[in-house]
Amino acid sequence: MEIDLDGIVIIVGNYGSGKTEVSINLAVNRKRAGLEVRIADLDLVNPYFRSREAKAQLAELGIEVVVPPMQYMQADLPILSPVVAGMIRQPSQLTLLDMGGNDIGANVLAALGDALRGRKIHVFQVVNPFRPFTDTAEGCLKIRNEIEKASRLFINGIIGNANLIDETSVEDIYTGYDFVLELSKRSGLLLKFVTVAAELMPKINIKHFICPVLLIERQLVPPWKKSIPLASKTE
Amino acid sequence: MGKTLMKGNEAIGEAAIRAGCLNYFAYPITPQSEVAEYLSRRMPEVGGMFLQGESEVAVSYMLFGASACGARVFTTSSSPGISLMSEGLSYIASAQCPAVFVNIMRGGPGLGGILPSQGDYFQATKGGGHGDYRLLVMAPASVQEAVEMVMLAFPLAEKYRNPVMLLGDGLIGQMMEPVEFPDHLKSEPTNKDKWATNGMDTRGSNKRNLVKSLFLDAGELNEHNLMLKAKYDRMKQEETRYESYNIESDYKTLIVSYGTMSRVCKTAIDNMKDKGIEVGMIRPQTLFPFPEKAVYEAASKESCKIALSIEMSMGQMVEDVERSVKGKLPVRWYGKCGGDVPTPEEVVEAVKSF
Repeated sequence: MEIDLDGIVIIVGNYGSGKTEVSINLAVNRKRAGLEVRIADLDLVNPYFRSREAKAQLAELGIEVVVPPMQYMQADLPILSPVVAGMIRQPSQLTLLDMGGNDIGANVLAALGDALRGRKIHVFQVVNPFRPFTDTAEGCLKIRNEIEKASRLFINGIIGNANLIDETSVEDIYTGYDFVLELSKRSGLLLKFVTVAAELMPKINIKHFICPVLLIERQLVPPWKKSIPLASKTE
Repeated sequence: MGKTLMKGNEAIGEAAIRAGCLNYFAYPITPQSEVAEYLSRRMPEVGGMFLQGESEVAVSYMLFGASACGARVFTTSSSPGISLMSEGLSYIASAQCPAVFVNIMRGGPGLGGILPSQGDYFQATKGGGHGDYRLLVMAPASVQEAVEMVMLAFPLAEKYRNPVMLLGDGLIGQMMEPVEFPDHLKSEPTNKDKWATNGMDTRGSNKRNLVKSLFLDAGELNEHNLMLKAKYDRMKQEETRYESYNIESDYKTLIVSYGTMSRVCKTAIDNMKDKGIEVGMIRPQTLFPFPEKAVYEAASKESCKIALSIEMSMGQMVEDVERSVKGKLPVRWYGKCGGDVPTPEEVVEAVKSF
């Protein structure tokens, strides 16, 4: 099942839910499907492990990453590049906005209100039930509420990103899937897709899911590990 | 309870709660702020308290005051914040109050940067504040180990009536790893009635407790310092912790490295092993007390020709390694401290270059 997605896509969620890893891999997935893709790193909250870290790899694939000017790359300052409003006004076939965590991270979207007004946008909440505060449906819906208030936007769907990084088991994937499926039913939010890391994919029965699956080739790794090379293969 | 995926900073906060610490004083600073963020939500849920001080100086004295009253206390900060707390640390150590300090180090000196560093080694292990005091310093290399060390830090602080410091670099605070929490720490009965100013009505004795760091009489101050020294000597006997890696092999090079830097070294050691180059490593888990004996023994191996201190600082650990190897080997340094963590490839190059 293909992840049928284009236009302006905004990725939100709680701290550490995996927004950046999902955004990067979604960008790669759509690029491989032949779309023209741009991604903006709008994480103005957390200075570590941001999508700007994968910039070089993505650039090789022809995916442009919009980041703050070079001299501010490592700052923990709330710098919103004016280029972002421009990329919303003249969107690529897929324009991905990778937001910072929680309602605080989504605040930035309110500042982009003018640019976003009247545009068709998709807002997806990334959920990892193995994270604190989103291990219950109530927790996820609380964060949904807070993000919607802060961003002045409605969330349209859920991305299931159940994982314990290197220690994720096949069972964890299915448990996480059941969790987001239930969350989708309860909230009425579309389950857009779930993620599975490359190393687990061979052990997973894709037919188990009613939604598409996004392959995760991990890019945000600590210095003692290697990220998976994003060779330009097409699916 | 199953595993949870947590940031080091969140896990440190949760571990303190599990260790029975319900008094958290702090001031936000990158890359440690998520501890405050996490506990501002969690502390009220468990009936605990997070009070944000007006500065790190104030925070250190909040810890002093609460600890003097017998409460279990802790704080978290990052390098410049710990500098501000150093005055309080000296007072707390002198007054023999248990307290746990977490330093999630960033680049220095001065404002430095916000990326990972190990530049506060001297500050943590040799002083920082004034006077003849020591901190028991533990250095985690993973989020799980940070949890275990936080939970160990409280009983150790109480055992020695001394501040314990957890020294982690920015990566420990920021990276996410799966963690499992031990059950809540069973609070050992402490001897706090003997020293804390916790109210005479509950103590059932007429002896007044006095918590102080002022000793105007020369003889008395000397006695006080001798007593503190005896305590630090006892820490050296009883609290030295380390891990060894590939130490059974016939290595020519011995690496001494701690924290996340040691994980880069492990990858480098594995990569070199694949190519037939053996390298051993001692990873101090306590920086004070430093695992002198383990380093000495590892350096005494027939095959070993050189010891390398690999750190995200400009060789601050070298003198502890030199002291430990007692002149048996040359000791060299490799490191970086701008925030770019050396890669496994760079460590391999460094090993080959010496």
